[in-house]
Amino acid sequence: MSHAFTVQFVRAAMLVPIFTLKLNHKINPRMVTVGKFDGVHPCLAAATQAGKVFIHNPHTRAQRQAAHRLSQSAHDSDISLLNINQAVSCLVAGSLEPGQVGDALLVGSQTNLLAYDVHNNADVFYKEVADGANAIVLGKLGDIPSPLAIIGGNCALQGFDHEGNDQFWTVTGDNVRSLMLCDFTGDGKNELLVGSEDFDIRVFKEDELVCEMAENETVTSLCHMHGSRFGYALANGTVGVYDRTARYWRIKSKNHAMSIHAFDLNADGVVELITGWSNGKIDARSDRTGEVIFKDNFSSSIAGVVEGDYRMDGQVQLICTSVDGEVRGYLPASKEMKGNLMDTSVEQDLIRELSQRRQNLLLELKTSRLTEGDAQMGVIPANTQLQTALCVKAATEAQKAHIELNISTPNETIIRAVLIFAEGIFEGESHVVHPSVQNLSGCVRVPIIPPKDIPVDLHIKAFVGGRNSTQFHVFEITRQLPRFSMYDLHVDPAAPQPTGIVCFGINDRPQRVVMWLNQNFLLPEGIDAPDVKFTCLRGGGLLSISMQPSGEITLKTDDIDLAGDLIQSLASFLAIEDLQAEADFPAYFEELRVTLTEVDEFHSVHQKLTAAMADHSNHIRTMLVQAEDARLMGDMRTMKKRYMELYDLNRDLINEYKIRCNNHNALIACLKSVNQAIQRAGQLRVGKPKSQVIAACRNAIKNNNVNALFKIMRAGTASS
Amino acid sequence: MELSLNRVDYLQVGVTSQKTMRLLPAAGRKATQKVAVADHDGIITCFGMKKGEAVPVFKTLPGQKISRLELGGALGTPQEKIFVAAGSEVRGYTKKGKQFLSFEANLAESIKAMHIAGADLFVCASYIYNHYCDCKDQHYYLSGDKINDIVCLPAESLGRIVPVLACQDRVLRVLQGSELSYEVEVPGPPTVLELNNKDGGTEGEVLYGTADGKLGLVKMTESSPVHRWEISNEKKKGGVLCIDTFDIVGDGVREILVGRDDGTVEVYGLDSSSEPVLRFEHVLSESVTSIQGGCVGKESFDEVLTATYTGWVTGLTSETQREEVGPGDEVKMSRETQNKIAALRAELEQLQLKVLQEREKYQQTSQSSTAVSAVPVFSINDKFTLCQDDASYSLTLEVQTAIDHLLLQSDVPIDLLDVDKNSAVVSFSECDSEPNGNFLLATYRCQANTTRLELKVRSIEGQYGTLQAYITPRLQPKTCQVRQYQIKPLSLHQRTHSIDQNRPMNTLSLTGQFSFAEIHSWVVFCLPEVPEKTPAGESATFLFQNTFLGTQLETTYSKGEGHFKSDNISTISILKDVLSKEATKRKINLNISYDINEDSVNHTLRMIHPKLEYQLLLAKKVQLIDALKELQVHEGNADFLIPEYRSILEESTHLLEEYKKQPAHLERLYGMITDLFIDKFKFKGQNVKTKVSQLLEILDNYDLNSLMDFFNAA
Repeated sequence: MSHAFTVQFVRAAMLVPIFTLKLNHKINPRMVTVGKFDGVHPCLAAATQAGKVFIHNPHTRAQRQAAHRLSQSAHDSDISLLNINQAVSCLVAGSLEPGQVGDALLVGSQTNLLAYDVHNNADVFYKEVADGANAIVLGKLGDIPSPLAIIGGNCALQGFDHEGNDQFWTVTGDNVRSLMLCDFTGDGKNELLVGSEDFDIRVFKEDELVCEMAENETVTSLCHMHGSRFGYALANGTVGVYDRTARYWRIKSKNHAMSIHAFDLNADGVVELITGWSNGKIDARSDRTGEVIFKDNFSSSIAGVVEGDYRMDGQVQLICTSVDGEVRGYLPASKEMKGNLMDTSVEQDLIRELSQRRQNLLLELKTSRLTEGDAQMGVIPANTQLQTALCVKAATEAQKAHIELNISTPNETIIRAVLIFAEGIFEGESHVVHPSVQNLSGCVRVPIIPPKDIPVDLHIKAFVGGRNSTQFHVFEITRQLPRFSMYDLHVDPAAPQPTGIVCFGINDRPQRVVMWLNQNFLLPEGIDAPDVKFTCLRGGGLLSISMQPSGEITLKTDDIDLAGDLIQSLASFLAIEDLQAEADFPAYFEELRVTLTEVDEFHSVHQKLTAAMADHSNHIRTMLVQAEDARLMGDMRTMKKRYMELYDLNRDLINEYKIRCNNHNALIACLKSVNQAIQRAGQLRVGKPKSQVIAACRNAIKNNNVNALFKIMRAGTASS
Repeated sequence: MELSLNRVDYLQVGVTSQKTMRLLPAAGRKATQKVAVADHDGIITCFGMKKGEAVPVFKTLPGQKISRLELGGALGTPQEKIFVAAGSEVRGYTKKGKQFLSFEANLAESIKAMHIAGADLFVCASYIYNHYCDCKDQHYYLSGDKINDIVCLPAESLGRIVPVLACQDRVLRVLQGSELSYEVEVPGPPTVLELNNKDGGTEGEVLYGTADGKLGLVKMTESSPVHRWEISNEKKKGGVLCIDTFDIVGDGVREILVGRDDGTVEVYGLDSSSEPVLRFEHVLSESVTSIQGGCVGKESFDEVLTATYTGWVTGLTSETQREEVGPGDEVKMSRETQNKIAALRAELEQLQLKVLQEREKYQQTSQSSTAVSAVPVFSINDKFTLCQDDASYSLTLEVQTAIDHLLLQSDVPIDLLDVDKNSAVVSFSECDSEPNGNFLLATYRCQANTTRLELKVRSIEGQYGTLQAYITPRLQPKTCQVRQYQIKPLSLHQRTHSIDQNRPMNTLSLTGQFSFAEIHSWVVFCLPEVPEKTPAGESATFLFQNTFLGTQLETTYSKGEGHFKSDNISTISILKDVLSKEATKRKINLNISYDINEDSVNHTLRMIHPKLEYQLLLAKKVQLIDALKELQVHEGNADFLIPEYRSILEESTHLLEEYKKQPAHLERLYGMITDLFIDKFKFKGQNVKTKVSQLLEILDNYDLNSLMDFFNAA
């Protein structure tokens, strides 16, 4: 190592960083990677401000001239800067072309994907991607022979090979925020895991959706641990580990997990989940229990956690970077440390814990002996039991439609407050009802409006005591809210019939469908025939579900999302693998038709604006030359005039830019809704028919065949 | 010289109060000392360490909560008799645990602080000080505010025993007999006193610690104090709960040992000019209630012994704990530790059994309709204090066992701020101000093993009400306790000792048929830090300072009459509103008159000016940082920038820190200027709410003169 003045190596006594660097460049969160761009030397590449990517190469000082995109940093000869001229949104390095020695660097932005050969300073390919690239992953997927750079954008997934050919495409429920490749099913081939803004983690076997895991916030990161085990992070500060579809553990912090990575830090042969937090903390947690085995602190938020043999001595280090450009490398623990990386004495902690338990038991004993006490101490009749009931309430003038949770005590005790902890239905993780003193009673009604059709566990804590108590009993009860709870059996006969309809056939007894209805809807008395009508409390309108003895099921609703959710829920309840359906949603399809024409309009506006801009830039060039000529000639009046004109032109350009921006945003929104439409059409089917519909829709859009698109959406297959 | 001390846990007793653990003097040739500690269960535990195990010398039976533990004995002999204060009783024990004294002080309240010197006993309840000699009444004094602690300078230094009281109203009161000799102003409410070098030295020096974390040394002369030094609390550590002096370094000079309510233990050494310098710091997870230097665990290894709120007696010893583990060795637990763990486990099992039986019994009784169910009473150590630096309240809650969750509810608009060291997950719930009057509903879900929570709350003057905290610990059966904290109308005011009489003042005068006690209760209602007890005498005067703006308030009142003087017109306006409301509530006819000084408005604006200007400049600079950094990256260096911008770049980390430290500072200043504007015209009988938007426009392009013009012109 010849550059010891920048890379300060520290002797590893406990688990201290083996090197620390200050790079003097900001690092954008989650946009850090390590690549061997010349095939030998690992370099750190990270996106920084002003649409640039920097590459830190401490091994070979670059002697190349600044050219093309690459330029040498002025302060620091170890750093080269790559101009992207656009805000970078994702970044990864890796081997894209089989047989190529060096790694390629892939940089995604909201409009483009660049594959770049850093070593030769040349573009591998540069592609426009209309759906943007929020996340990127590199590797092999399913049976596709060549490695792909897979990007996730607005509801869409797209994979490119090393020539920039579009080898893979599918749609997903919402904007993609994280991607990961691993052999999820254990068939020796990689599946693609997609975390998105609709809180779902979806697993794709090529373009077929294998399974879905519902979380309760945007899935911001995914990382493969080993086998079918993977780590995930959510936007609300949750981090956890799944094995296949089962969650092993999770923890929640008030800070945000910026980056997660799997690394065997204690050298026990099993990787740990390393998390970099927004408050600058780094921790390593056991993959089985989530127990913290190591932690360290940075002075600013973590930007990314990666690994690489940065010292080139054959040992891979964990490399953590902060947004302020601080980089630390950690070597895995040596054998002597026996996996004990924390500076606390285990036995002392154990004694403390045992002693605390003893203290708690003594406290409990002390009170059980307590025979008398006054109401202030919160004495209540010993047979007090809390009753809870859930029911659907239609909208009234004073209150929106909601589900009412009724909690009551059987005697004169009062409920001082009710806390409900639940995921995904409240703004935060909890909802509190705290009546004022004059409104205290033994009964509390809590209106709940779940924003989506998801099953929710309500963890209810009710504080029960007397009117003047300062101490209360805490009753803890868990109730489950069924998935489709915002649907009321009361139907207004005058309400207009829905025009949307889905028909499909199943080979199962009607009783099973009745069972599904009773489990998934909030039906106070239950029903006994698979023929029901509901009022949708959230959006209004009717929903009817009916089943013929032949197994033919008809769903009627104007809400295509609801129809999709119902079919998916029913199919998984009845364990149906493949389901074809015929559908018609006239109102929605009309809307989509309008959107499709809008897309065309936006495209043409875009082209016009681009032409106008090119025109303007030519003007600028000539005007600038004229102005400078005038200055050299000493003709200050003309110079001033030219510069004034230039100023005006500049203002025009800025205005046009704003128009372009608006146009672009509108276009993105339209494209997103088109992608969503395809996804929705897919949701009405299950298994193979589902992927067939999606693929056929994509073809129709590619060929600009709008009528075929609608035909496919209706029939579920391409007409040919 | 760096000090390195290692933590060793010795034993856990019940919840402890401040100053309830002492080391007995070493007896005979034995070098290790015994420890006496008393807890809320009323148990005194005296133990010594033998081969790493705590061996009890004696343990008393449970009784009333013990609030103090002191050592005493005939003067000139080893001070090895143990005295405790429980309720209004003082008990004495020999070092073997034999009770030889039980003295009922006959106080209406329980004893808060105690000092013992030979045959002299000094006790303090909330406001009362009593001196007994051989259990006979000697002297008595009634303090103006709550007494937190007492020490007495020994007779050697001033020729007589001199009691010093630490009082909540930021003064130390030095007594002579039953009379006040003089008062010593200190920078915060003093919570603990200790004699310097154990005996006050030849000069009579007293160390004090305050609730807001300050530390100081005062020399008490015959007639006046001399302040030696003072350590401010810039790092915002917890309040001081206990102090001791001990030579832990072994250089012949005693260091100062300090324990704080956020768990910090500090050792200060003295530099060549006798100024204190921090030598060592360790953070325990809970309040440090007692601290003393000595030798407990192992001969010839000095240590700092602490007792914490939940009753842990912990040493910070100079002995190195861990033997080096050679490669390939298993990390083995020592035999002692193994024994200790085994014993604990056995005890736990037995307890578990007992608890199960009790639970079964409980289950049976719960079937009956006449049985009642009580809940475990757990003790909560809470503190709600105004922080002078950022004019916000800090609420700390500490429970003897781990907290499960906390519900905060407020019926007045307040802002809840994030505290970095808090790891609990906070969630704000939707509030319905109608019909339940909630303005804040927030839950904190705590991580495992959280026994202490710290929260910050920002209030707005003029909006008053109650903040309630429902604390649920991880105890079976699950229970919660509620604690209430008043947000007073003038919540950002703090008591002070002197005010500037030259400022232009506005006056509010009240006359009417009210008693002295009634008007005092109104003042207590309006202002923080006023003692609840009606002061002795005919009239009372209190001085206050607004911690945010620096404006001041003087209140003087007696039966039938009250005068409030402030240079801030908004303060007067708030008082006027609240007082008339309170009087109406009690159906008392009030005559309110006010004398408004127009100059005071400009004066207040001038006082705000430097703060506002600083904040505006800071905000502007912070806004530029990112853009400038981007330019720097783009150009490769910052040489092309003008010096002003270059200096912003250079100071960027500092600027960002400053900015982060004072969230919403600018908004608060704007709010106060707006209030000032509205209040000024309210006294003239004009409603200027429609002009507020104009005012905000002027503030956006701030200039002191144009702002003053606007105030004068409108």
